[in-house]
Amino acid sequence: MNPLIFTTILMTVLLGTMIVMMSSHWLMIWIGFEMNLLAIIPILMKKYNPRTMEASTKYFLTQATASMLLMMAIIINLMHSGQWTITKVFNPTASIIMTSALAMKLGLTPFHFWVPEVTQGISLTSGLILLTWQKLAPMSILYQISPSINLNILLTMAVLSILVGGWGGLNQTQLRKIMAYSSIAHMGWMTAVLVYSPTLTMLNMLIYIMMTLTMFMLFIHSSSTTTLSLSHTWNKTPLTTTLILITLLSMGGLPPLSGFMPKWMIIQELTKNSSIILPTLMAIMALLNLYFYMRLTYSTSLTMFPSTNNMKMKWQFETKRITLLPPLIVMSSLLLPLTPMLSILD
Amino acid sequence: MMTYIVFILSVIFVVSFVGFSSKPSPIYGGLVLIVSGGVGCGIIMNFGGSFLGLMVFLIYLGGMLVVFGYTTAMATEQYPEVWVSNTTVMGVFLLGLLMEVMLVLYVLKGEEVGVVFKFSGVGDWAIYDTGDSGVFSEEIMGVAALYSYGAWVVIVTGWSLLVGVLVILEVTRGD
Repeated sequence: MNPLIFTTILMTVLLGTMIVMMSSHWLMIWIGFEMNLLAIIPILMKKYNPRTMEASTKYFLTQATASMLLMMAIIINLMHSGQWTITKVFNPTASIIMTSALAMKLGLTPFHFWVPEVTQGISLTSGLILLTWQKLAPMSILYQISPSINLNILLTMAVLSILVGGWGGLNQTQLRKIMAYSSIAHMGWMTAVLVYSPTLTMLNMLIYIMMTLTMFMLFIHSSSTTTLSLSHTWNKTPLTTTLILITLLSMGGLPPLSGFMPKWMIIQELTKNSSIILPTLMAIMALLNLYFYMRLTYSTSLTMFPSTNNMKMKWQFETKRITLLPPLIVMSSLLLPLTPMLSILD
Repeated sequence: MMTYIVFILSVIFVVSFVGFSSKPSPIYGGLVLIVSGGVGCGIIMNFGGSFLGLMVFLIYLGGMLVVFGYTTAMATEQYPEVWVSNTTVMGVFLLGLLMEVMLVLYVLKGEEVGVVFKFSGVGDWAIYDTGDSGVFSEEIMGVAALYSYGAWVVIVTGWSLLVGVLVILEVTRGD
């Protein structure tokens, strides 16, 4: 793609999310979502094969439906409250419709079906933007309407998302689909605590984005999209096998690493609000996620996966430049001792 | 009949939307879009927005739909699908018509319709002159406000349209 056009379109994706996060008028928020959607389509279609076109079409159709539902909720809100400012949504019907629309945009169950298919069909860099940047705008709106969200619906969607994210990722060997199911599960964790403490949702979003960025950068560095090609990393750059190990275990939520911090805080907040069965269920289902991360680390860093003999003597081509990998790795694994600093957030 | 003109126009609006949603060939979709554009213009005019209604005719029907009609005419097939040619299309069209007829009967017969908001009888659609703004036309003031207080909206919308063109060119360019 022409670099100037590509830069313009990428900046428009950023502009769309910024408009959503900064506006106080519901119509401007809708315009921001549409601008975001319109501009990310050519980014998803960077390579011109039928796979990417199918993936971008699926993405476009689901997100456009979600925008329509959002507009309907906005109009119902307008009819019942007479104003366009972003506050809590006053009508229960409008609130439910808006929650469903934002869940469709995020990829929560039962609207999760597009996430693995779209993520699999596009290149790794586009998948990175899809799973990290595109989650910011809907989450910011959920944050702003959190006082009026129907608890039952949101918690049902959250728990089912954690379930689907865990179970769906179990039989996958394609790395992009694994990251997609991981995204579904993490979105479930984020929305579970939204009504109780929106600050923790933002914390989880931050740490999730850091960890997903790190994982995608490591995959881009070794140009691997399947478990098999990831298992050849010991031959290309042996150091990244350790880094993959650390980051994957952090994504699974193991204690000395920073991925544990949001899960710990969320479980604590939920138990403070006298719901005990829910965080127990969530923690148990997060083990499913941990299982397939551990399977990846097993085949990548802990063992030398069976491969043909010519795979063991690879040419060392020029390394791809990866942005910001060392700081990302440090931040996605060593942030846990900083947990007491969270008290400044309230 | 004139008191209920907005209701009648809205029924024709919904029926023409059903007409193109049942997916005949795009040429016929454009045909009902003309009808729905005209009827939509009538609805807006009944609420006092003569400028916006004429804008619909001029820009939407006279600009965008004309270009759409030309491009569709270039890309059309030999025997385009009408509503009665294909069983599926006719079935969906009749289904939509049936639902609209049932809704209209529900509105006309029942005292109050409470789907998401309360709608008590056809009288809700009649336009009453509140006379708040006096000599000024509200919709002209609205358009003027778009270009003064709403400059940010104009910038954002203009940028969206520009990027829309860039995106469409990028997507259809291919390799």
